[in-house]
Amino acid sequence: MSTGLGNLLALGIGYLLLLFLCALAVERGWIPRHFVRHPAIYTLALGVYASAWAIYGSLELAGRAGFGYLAYYLGVAGAFLLAPVLLVPIQRLTHTYQLASLADLFAFRFRSRWVGAFITLVSLLAVLPLLGLQVQTLSNAILRLSGTDAPALLTLGFCCLIALFAILFGARHTRLHDRHDTLLATIAFESVVKLVAMLALGAFALFGIFDGPADLQAWLDGPGHAAQAETRHLDPAQWRTLLLLFFGASFLMPHMFHIAFAETLSRQTLLQASWALPLFLLLMALPVPLILWGAQHQGVETATTGFAYLAFSLSTSWWVGALAFLAGLAAASGTMIIISLALSGMILNHLVLVAHPPVAQPDLYRWLRWLRRALIAAVILGGWLFYRLVGIHHDLVTLGLVAFIGMAQCLPGMLALLYWPGANRKGMVAGLSVGVLVWLAGLWVPLLTDQPAWIFLPPGLEVLAGEAEWYLVSLVSLSLNILVLILVSLASRTSPGERAAAEACSVDAVIRPKRLPLVAANGTDFKRHLARALGEEVAHREVDRALSALDLSPLDGRPYALRRLRDRIQANLSGVMGPSVAQDIVDRYLPYRHDVRGATEDIHFVESRLEAYRSRLTGLARELDGLRRYHRRTLTRLPVGLCAFGDDGELLMWNDALADLSGFPGNAVVGARRDSLPPPWGKLLSRVLAEPHDHLYKEPVELDGGMRYLTLHKAGLHDDEDERGGHVILVEDHSEMKWLEDELVHAARLASIGQLAAGVAHEIGNPITGISSLAQNLRYDTDDPQVLETAGQIQQLTDRVSRIVGSLVGFAHGGRHVGGRAFAPVSIAAVTEEALHLIHLARSGEDVRYHNRCAAGLEVPGDDQRLLQVMVNLIGNARDASAPSGEVVIDAEAQENWLHVTVTDDGHGIDASMRDHLFEPFTTTKPPGEGTGLGLPLVYSIIAEHRGQIDIDSPPPGCRHGTRIHLWLPLNLEDGERRHEPDPDR
Amino acid sequence: MYVYRIMLFLVFGGYLLSPLLMSGWASPGVAWYRPFVIWGVLIALTLWLEQKRRLDER
Repeated sequence: MSTGLGNLLALGIGYLLLLFLCALAVERGWIPRHFVRHPAIYTLALGVYASAWAIYGSLELAGRAGFGYLAYYLGVAGAFLLAPVLLVPIQRLTHTYQLASLADLFAFRFRSRWVGAFITLVSLLAVLPLLGLQVQTLSNAILRLSGTDAPALLTLGFCCLIALFAILFGARHTRLHDRHDTLLATIAFESVVKLVAMLALGAFALFGIFDGPADLQAWLDGPGHAAQAETRHLDPAQWRTLLLLFFGASFLMPHMFHIAFAETLSRQTLLQASWALPLFLLLMALPVPLILWGAQHQGVETATTGFAYLAFSLSTSWWVGALAFLAGLAAASGTMIIISLALSGMILNHLVLVAHPPVAQPDLYRWLRWLRRALIAAVILGGWLFYRLVGIHHDLVTLGLVAFIGMAQCLPGMLALLYWPGANRKGMVAGLSVGVLVWLAGLWVPLLTDQPAWIFLPPGLEVLAGEAEWYLVSLVSLSLNILVLILVSLASRTSPGERAAAEACSVDAVIRPKRLPLVAANGTDFKRHLARALGEEVAHREVDRALSALDLSPLDGRPYALRRLRDRIQANLSGVMGPSVAQDIVDRYLPYRHDVRGATEDIHFVESRLEAYRSRLTGLARELDGLRRYHRRTLTRLPVGLCAFGDDGELLMWNDALADLSGFPGNAVVGARRDSLPPPWGKLLSRVLAEPHDHLYKEPVELDGGMRYLTLHKAGLHDDEDERGGHVILVEDHSEMKWLEDELVHAARLASIGQLAAGVAHEIGNPITGISSLAQNLRYDTDDPQVLETAGQIQQLTDRVSRIVGSLVGFAHGGRHVGGRAFAPVSIAAVTEEALHLIHLARSGEDVRYHNRCAAGLEVPGDDQRLLQVMVNLIGNARDASAPSGEVVIDAEAQENWLHVTVTDDGHGIDASMRDHLFEPFTTTKPPGEGTGLGLPLVYSIIAEHRGQIDIDSPPPGCRHGTRIHLWLPLNLEDGERRHEPDPDR
Repeated sequence: MYVYRIMLFLVFGGYLLSPLLMSGWASPGVAWYRPFVIWGVLIALTLWLEQKRRLDER
């Protein structure tokens, strides 16, 4: 069946144009971004695994080995089922260290540029047959669809278009690790095309050729059984070997590694693919036997032409052939695009850049981009050449197995990389070399030369001599590879750098870098150092990019921050030019200082890593991590300031209380040197560490413009069994206690003054009594009204002095009135009037106006002298707070059972911070020397005696300033209620 | 993490028992779609384990 050259060109070129259009639609944003970034797109892009092998090779294998063809799908399904323990750790590593290929990963883990080059060469040799397979299927499909005489030339044309696409949409970014949305979406589109085409072909076979599943089953049990019985089944060992090969291929093949790990994605998306990709592959695998049985039912001849292209013979309808061609074209083009991108990156980073380091290249990014584009074209054309020279002479299964067995040689090294920190470079290289040599001699060289395979069978395995060559080579090469890797690794020494990298890669280990300081002092210094290697512009761009990613300032000089900056720059450069060159550059131009004593593990960094790995911990490790977090939380939330320093003076901890006290959050200062901490902390903490004693008591420190008194305690952290040392310092804020101590001293002084005053009052009492008696005598001795009035005023004032003295003595004796007067109805208007009269006697506040608005008939039961004392105090305070022309208003009104008295002034008011302490002794708003702080406590005490209440509004509602004192006095006191003693609890 | 152990058990158990899948190809009376049904059940099991793992990690 052929549809002619014109139709073929229309179909092929039309499809590739559609691919360009799809890429353009994504790039221009015609397709919504959330759709492009959907996890399903990523899973479909992983469908690139289903290469032309899945379309034609599987048919070939199904024809030869029945359900043995499923190994190709089930191997990768098994690998993705193990995503959490196998693929996620690889993804974490590639993401953290910006490793874009298998060669990057091996070069990083085994700390050698030669390892990277070796893996690149092995990948190149292994992938060439796979590329040749894609080109061969394309060529054969063209031949079957068009019947043309020159399928190879047409295939070359298609290869050129595919290379152009890869260059245009896959090599835009210099960094291999940047996510290419366009590329992923296009590969996902290709996966959809091949899936739909295969399902359509399968459906045609099932319902077009057979009458549904039941008819098919009947045919298989009847007439078709003879054909199936001729199928030679794989023995279990061969089947398991095939499964293992395809299991390894799912993450070792350059195109799979590229999509699964280099295209940045989240862990969740990868885990979602653990079931979604097997589902995709199930749908891809399902039509394969249907097509085969359909073709057998139609009586299609397979003895000479094989099984691979049976789909073209299912029907004479043009669209069946077109579907078979489109499925193959979509599968082959996707695989070729991603393989060319992945291999070009590997060749660039591990062969070209290692041989020709890009030091001081004028326009580094442009140079790298063009180099990569040339390599993409070279890889695709290399695949076409391989097909023309070698592949044309071999079937699909042979080509595919050579490729998969070659790449499987990296499987032992990969598993050791993840799960065995004891493996070293010598072991890995020796094992890989042996495995690759067996593979080359047994499969690859015979492929090229058509010479018989040379297969080395170790003693004891001679019984396997008659088995299939691919099986023997797989068995021997992988067994020797593993054995040599283990033996050499155990027998040879591992370098410290390699050990550190092994810890970084190991699934269960956490990297423990040393706290070494760098020669460069800050981000700006980094640019200067790196400019010598990368040129001014690139150095600035790389450092700024790393600073921005870490959210650091270019002037941040903390050793911890600089180490993270160095790591980030190394990772970023690794994404551009591979880990080997990146490491060479940072080692040479951003070196560590090794002259520092006492640098131990970077605890802060280790902790941050542990936080990130938490979900991966199990059993005892998880319990221990829970304890660590609990202790960490205890220290962080300790309500006392705490900080810790390493022996080298680097700050390792700065808890929340200290952050509140200092105003510097932990993440801004942790990792800084002690002497570079902001003032006054650097000097203060250095001082306490230099002190011979373990404490510094009430050290005055200026913080936030005020003086604070801090007490510091220190303790050493050294232990004989642990190399981690340093000091921990507790910082307590004793400012409040110092203030209270000062207040106590002040109160003690006032108390002694009070005692003195009580003594003085007692002494004053006698002369006052004398004055009062004399005034009394004077009244009897004269009739002069003026003298009588003066004598009366003298007596009145001496009575007042006596009562004040009595009150003072009473207050000094615990605030209890000692007069013992009985309560009687008191006119509040009269008391206020008398208080105003007394106030007028004082000279201060003469300009203040007083308004007594109390109604004459308002009376409360009480002690008139005590209430007079209250009013004198309140009006006196109001006068002192008022401006010279201010007003003081005294008002009273009866409210139910209470008399509500207010004293309102329009003065400066009372500070909010003082309001809660106004009724405490020695609290005053007046300037020093003018108030004792005893007036309001006395008022409170008297009002309490009268079962009343007092409250303050400052400012009063509706006013901008001033104060209003509210007094509530009961209008009636119940019988039997204590009249002379105030309630001490009030 | 216990979910991962179940997955490991499934994969290695499946690896050892998988040759049984091939026996259905030419056996009369055995449904041709049997391997795909088993495969589908495994996928459903993985989906269930994956959702369980997500809940565990919350």
